[in-house]
Amino acid sequence: MRKTWSIMRRDLLKIGRNPLTIFTSVLLPIIYLLIFGNSFQGVLKHLPVVIVSQDNGPFAIRVMEQMQALAAGPRVITITYNSDADTALRDVRNGVYKAALIIPPDFSHDIAEGRIGELGLFTDNVDAISAATLTGLFSQATASIRAGYVTAREPKLDQIVIRPSNLFTTVDYDRSLIPGVIVMALFMGSLTSGVFNWVMDRFMGITECYLVTPPSRWNLAAGVLGSSVLVTSVASVIVLAAGLLMTGGTITGGAPAAAMLVGVIVLGATGILAMTFVILARADNPRVVGASAGFLNVILFFPSGAIYPVESFPTWLRTFAHYNPETHAVSALKSILFKGANFAAVSHDLAFLAVFTAAMLVLASMTVKRTL
Amino acid sequence: MESQSAAIQARELTKRFGEFTAVDRVTFEVRRGELFGLLGPNGAGKTTLSRMLTTLLVPDAGAASVAGFDVARDPARVREAIGVIPQALTSDLDLTGWENVDIYGGFYNLGRRARRERAQHLLRMVGLTERANDLVQTYSGGMRRRLEIARGLIHSPEVLFLDEPTIGLDPQSRRAVWELLEQLRRDTGLTISLTTHYMDEAETLCDRIAIVDGGKIIAIGTPAELKAKVKGSDRIELEVAGDAEKIAAMLRGQPGVLDVTRDPDGPIVVSADDGAHVMPRIIAEIENSGASVSSIKLERLSLEDVFIRFTGRRLRDEPARKGGFFSSSFGMPMPPGR
Repeated sequence: MRKTWSIMRRDLLKIGRNPLTIFTSVLLPIIYLLIFGNSFQGVLKHLPVVIVSQDNGPFAIRVMEQMQALAAGPRVITITYNSDADTALRDVRNGVYKAALIIPPDFSHDIAEGRIGELGLFTDNVDAISAATLTGLFSQATASIRAGYVTAREPKLDQIVIRPSNLFTTVDYDRSLIPGVIVMALFMGSLTSGVFNWVMDRFMGITECYLVTPPSRWNLAAGVLGSSVLVTSVASVIVLAAGLLMTGGTITGGAPAAAMLVGVIVLGATGILAMTFVILARADNPRVVGASAGFLNVILFFPSGAIYPVESFPTWLRTFAHYNPETHAVSALKSILFKGANFAAVSHDLAFLAVFTAAMLVLASMTVKRTL
Repeated sequence: MESQSAAIQARELTKRFGEFTAVDRVTFEVRRGELFGLLGPNGAGKTTLSRMLTTLLVPDAGAASVAGFDVARDPARVREAIGVIPQALTSDLDLTGWENVDIYGGFYNLGRRARRERAQHLLRMVGLTERANDLVQTYSGGMRRRLEIARGLIHSPEVLFLDEPTIGLDPQSRRAVWELLEQLRRDTGLTISLTTHYMDEAETLCDRIAIVDGGKIIAIGTPAELKAKVKGSDRIELEVAGDAEKIAAMLRGQPGVLDVTRDPDGPIVVSADDGAHVMPRIIAEIENSGASVSSIKLERLSLEDVFIRFTGRRLRDEPARKGGFFSSSFGMPMPPGR
């Protein structure tokens, strides 16, 4: 018993002298809970929808009221109105909205005449979860219109139908994960080939040998970053190719799109690598990098929109996602890979990644000291 | 004292870590082609001193130059001129021996052909030609150390710094490293600064030695000069057939004899500076007194004795080192070789 107690006492003393260990073992699960819980909450919310109403008739107004009720009540959607159908559809293609609901000019008239009233629903089906949710939701909404208006005088209201249209080639679930898998490869590659090697070299005293040789801090930083970006980018391109091969997909947009994909991968690898240097380059022990990898992966990957739409996150998580480089990498990869987006369509994401990468490179270079 | 031919010059060189002064106004000079030893107990400040001279640490006060370049004002030129073999084994385990040396050649802007020729020569010199294409992870500690010496010489430096180069090595590997250093000094005239706490190593290899303790140089000179600085550096131990007490009293007044002691029933112990000359005289005196010497032994003071005389027997407690946030907070070990 004394022997067992001696071992227990030793461990308790060690743990007690490192209170942050206890703190992190409490804090990390709470953070995981917050991130996981809010990344995968059951009901989608705040999905941006643009409504183009070309009909001022009573049934069009009723449809609009029903949509407003959805926006105000369960907050599943946020509504923007636009009078131009072409603009609305372009914005859906560019990822501004998840869907466009178009109420055609003769909608009320058709119903009044006893014909079928058709509503056009154009969804961004690259986000399959949002597209399915919106299609189902709008179908239910029109059903409630029917229920509300079934009177002896208006017998034809059951003729309102939603005509859903996918704006892009159907992306099955496996394929839809490819951008997320690529971004995870970017993160893991950056960590293992970059900052982990750097901290390991410092731990082993190898860095000390570099510091007594002529290369400047810029040479050192550029050398380490360059090799890691190259390895991470090649690994991510292989992941992309393997993903497409396994899911039977192709790159919509051909060679220019492929070049843009590689560009996003290189930019993302550089930004994420520099960020991991800013966070971890001063660590004394490579085990710190290992311990931090899982935590950073969770807080960056799950709010990135790789699996669940960012729009449905609570405000605080949406704000975080907005400044998360992985969110923009996922968004750009999805747009190029599945929507055949051109440079202009992904310029917002690329601009964010470029600014983020530049800022992180400056900060990362400051972590490289020329002396001990 | 300073001269144009000095490979290393330090004047009032000082380094503090918070309240702790690791190196305290150290002044010394190493001549070109000299193998100079920094000898001291753990925590004496040897490594800190060496790190300032190799530009790894910036001095807080004083000045130093290596190969004619100021370490604080012109560290890039210093780095071009020095080779450094740190205490920890730092050759890259995932690379071959050849790659380790070749990559360092690139750090000094050596062209491919120059790197190849130099690496071939150095690997042959350290006896690793046969294993040059093997991964370093298959090397023994002694092989890694020899490889690192080759690596440190890839650019033909003017000054080579070695920090405890034989620590942890078996006797054969230690001898191999010693022979290598002697060969370098003999064949190339390279200036070598050797940090060590092995007395035999310092005595065997070094032209001059600085004994460092408490951040200061407390003695400097050749091994013979250091020994001569200790009064009674020779110890003559003799047993006599006769009245030992009387003989001991008689020897106390003899020229060259500094001290005479005798434990009850033990031998007579005579301390002298020049034992080789004193010994025949005291034998003659004893025989003239009618007694005889049954055994006599002359022991010269070792460098270790000199070292202990200068630095004392007190055990050194190194100052507490503050761990970084990431290491101390997670209860992780600090890196080696600090």
